[in-house]
Amino acid sequence: MDDKKGKGVSRRDFLKRVGAGSVGAAVISKGLLDAPGADAYPTEAVEPAKGRSIVSLKVNGKAYRIEVQHRQTLAEVLRDELGLTGTRIGCDRGECGACTVIIDGRNMYSCSQLAVWMSGKEILTVEGLAKGDKLDPIQQAFIDHDGPQCGFCTSGQIMSGKALLLRNPSPSEAQARRALSGNLCRCGNYNREVEAVLAAAKAR
Amino acid sequence: MAQKEFSVVGKATPRIDGFERVTGKAEYTGDVQLPGMLYARVLRSPHPHAKILSIDTSKAEKLPGVKAIVHSFNTQVTWASGGLTQKRMIFNNPVRYVGDAVAAVAATDRYIAEDALELIEVKYEKLPYVLDAAAALKSDAPKIYPKGNLSVGDGRVTAPIREQWGDVEKGFKEADKVFEDTYISKHVNNAQMERRVSVAKWDGAKLTVYASTQGISNARGDIAKALDLPLSRVRVVCKYMGAGFGNKNQAQDYDMMTAVLAKTAGQPVKLEFTREDDFIGMHGRWASEQHYKVGVKKDGTITAVELNAITNMGAYRKQSGDLTGCDFYNIPNYKKVVSPTHTNTVVAANYRAPAYPQSVFGFASMLDQIAFDLGVNPYDMFLKNRVRVSKGKSQFTSNEMEACIVEGAKKIGWQEKWHPAGASKGAKLHGIGMALGGYPFRLGLGAATIRLNPDATAHVIVGVVDIGTGAKSTMAIIAAEALGIPLDQIQLASGDTDVTPYSIGESSSRTTSFTGTAVIAAAEDVRKQIFAVAARELEAKPEELDLKNGIVFLKSNPGQKMPLVKAIRKVESEIIGRATTNPTWPEGFDGKCFAAHFCEVEVDRFTGQVRLTRYVAAHDSGTIINRLTATSQVKGGVVQGIGMAFTEELLIDRPTATPINPNYRDAKVPTHLEVPEIEVLFVDASDPYGPFGGKPVGEPPITASVGTIANAIFNATGKRFKELPITPDKILRAIQV
Ligand code: FES
Ligand code: FES
Repeated sequence: MDDKKGKGVSRRDFLKRVGAGSVGAAVISKGLLDAPGADAYPTEAVEPAKGRSIVSLKVNGKAYRIEVQHRQTLAEVLRDELGLTGTRIGCDRGECGACTVIIDGRNMYSCSQLAVWMSGKEILTVEGLAKGDKLDPIQQAFIDHDGPQCGFCTSGQIMSGKALLLRNPSPSEAQARRALSGNLCRCGNYNREVEAVLAAAKAR
Repeated sequence: MAQKEFSVVGKATPRIDGFERVTGKAEYTGDVQLPGMLYARVLRSPHPHAKILSIDTSKAEKLPGVKAIVHSFNTQVTWASGGLTQKRMIFNNPVRYVGDAVAAVAATDRYIAEDALELIEVKYEKLPYVLDAAAALKSDAPKIYPKGNLSVGDGRVTAPIREQWGDVEKGFKEADKVFEDTYISKHVNNAQMERRVSVAKWDGAKLTVYASTQGISNARGDIAKALDLPLSRVRVVCKYMGAGFGNKNQAQDYDMMTAVLAKTAGQPVKLEFTREDDFIGMHGRWASEQHYKVGVKKDGTITAVELNAITNMGAYRKQSGDLTGCDFYNIPNYKKVVSPTHTNTVVAANYRAPAYPQSVFGFASMLDQIAFDLGVNPYDMFLKNRVRVSKGKSQFTSNEMEACIVEGAKKIGWQEKWHPAGASKGAKLHGIGMALGGYPFRLGLGAATIRLNPDATAHVIVGVVDIGTGAKSTMAIIAAEALGIPLDQIQLASGDTDVTPYSIGESSSRTTSFTGTAVIAAAEDVRKQIFAVAARELEAKPEELDLKNGIVFLKSNPGQKMPLVKAIRKVESEIIGRATTNPTWPEGFDGKCFAAHFCEVEVDRFTGQVRLTRYVAAHDSGTIINRLTATSQVKGGVVQGIGMAFTEELLIDRPTATPINPNYRDAKVPTHLEVPEIEVLFVDASDPYGPFGGKPVGEPPITASVGTIANAIFNATGKRFKELPITPDKILRAIQV
């Protein structure tokens, strides 16, 4: 009798598959490009015995050199190793957007990026937005427009909104909605989150 | 009715903890990190019904890093709130659904814990199972409990649930026409964004649980009872909470598992559910099959309603399983029999307004159809039959349902836009629909302490947690108004049972009324003490004084005044006010919130896709304490209804009895793209029993939403959809024949 859990894709399986895919990616990128970026995908091949690698990355302007497990995601490293728990994990499988951070200017799900891929990357998390007590306009707008209900999706919504404003300082409502569409909010506060992004655009 | 003049209440006030929420500083349970903390994972049953013959953990134990493994053979802990009518353990044998917890492992990291789950060897003896509620009630169905599958009562709940007034037979005789039909709703998950997580640590004989719970006081009680500990030795902390919508009330099995693992391992433990665990391991909204018989006069006036229904509670009964969508109508003769039934599927229990949206869908669809058949405009049908008395007998303490209907209809432009169902032509079919909703407004036990500091700032100490409703802000606003000091002078201490007094918790829309009433009473206690001191200084009687904006003054001569700070200094230290309140309705009265919802849709005739183009939600929630957060609550409730109406349904693979879409992508919760602007309207209202006239806001918004959307789709297509969710394939099939 097969007593394995019959429940679809577990995170382990998911990571196994991601790992397999990235081996191929690393080969291709080596062939196409020469150096930079190629080592952005050091998979098990680098130090297969230990399953760990050293990664140098920048988070919120600070440089870190840390040893990570190959199977650790960026979200886990941010939260568990760097103490940046403002990045939330809602699904851990690339569906909800609670873990959204900005990597080299683009909003991405940090639960679906392995930490070892982050060498040389610049990462911005919700903790990096305010300058001291001075909030970023998008944060102020989220307070004024009641962006967070339970607040669990809020960091992600803010980071997707911020990424949008970085590339398009005055988005239309439709553009704002589309830009946030990878960020679920089960509290259903979608109107407020879009309102806040548009207000932040005006406030700049 | 004219609103009283308030200084803080009734405005649109940003949350008092907004800064923490937008900077990532808010500490949710999953953010708690303790030295030496282990990570735990849960093993779940792959079988819908099976006896566990043995559990062999020897291989798992040998995995380096594994520190503790608990299961039904070494851990017998009752989960009191896990089963209303049966004794439910945190690990059960037999297991009764795919997803029932079998074991939990704590290890030095979460990967090792997951590896260990795969090394646990469980021998099962499969038992016959049943998945459908109607089939489960047949005499030859496999029995999940010795007494059968109709969930039996235990004094707290009954089965079947019966309610009756008037005489339905007489009512049907008085009717010009009698209609009968059946409506079906499906199991949908609460799907709150924060996965279930619990962190437990023991300091000697004292247990601290960082829980993700909607009610810390009840969680403490549950944990103490389950582990046989005195209340003083259990501390439950919940500072920020990533929502629950009813599936994180009290303490749940994982809180107890975490505590036992931490005890066994001698180290703190964090147990996290995966997203799939969260979808199948706790509960969602009960599915239902509702059969209505409705008698009406020619003009649509209801003479009698009979409801016979089955609700699917899954393997355990945590909650009532009732259906209460008829609550919003005037029904002179009523009879209801609802049978909560067990099946070998995921448990069903509370999800925001547990017994409402599915039954409002059924009954509001029924009435809308009757209106069509009689040639009555649905607006007149709903207006005419709106509820006037509660349960056929009691008066409401306030009832602005009429205003909700009239003002909401005006806002959406009902009279200009309505057309007979099916009259819209072209590629995009236009439809407009409405339904009535609301939620009970209850009174009950609340407690609060207020510490007025020497500098005239105050700490309000209450046991509430804020699950996203804005409850912390609401409590601070009520305190500021009641005390007569500015809002920014108030700090809230909440979410820690070692510090805060009892609170019912954030469930059933009770925080504002239960705890808010206590906050007002505690503030009055503070004011009494202040006035006693200030009276001597101002040479007046205490009852002649008032306090506003931090100034104590003579009511009859506001010029005669002193700053609050000075009055406090006359007391040796800070002033402490406290109150425990437990009001009840006067004989013959009952409380309720009311709502009328309206929406417009556009149905694509060639794809069956529906676009919601407009949504108007009109609510009577009494005085609105905070317009900003209350408006958000309404918007959010409607959005959850949108998911339930259009897409959400837990799908079970029949050959394996396994849920196949326990994740966000496949459960299809609404995203930014499906949600229009939700226009929210609070009608002018005030209830004499609510704090400053306020009634609940949290649950009413979801109640009417599903029925409203369903009726709009009928108006667009001329086809009645009697089964949720109303997906494009169903629509296409119906409109193409
Ligand atoms: S946690 Fe990364 S997408 Fe959900
Ligand atoms: S605010 Fe709760 S999930 Fe978005």
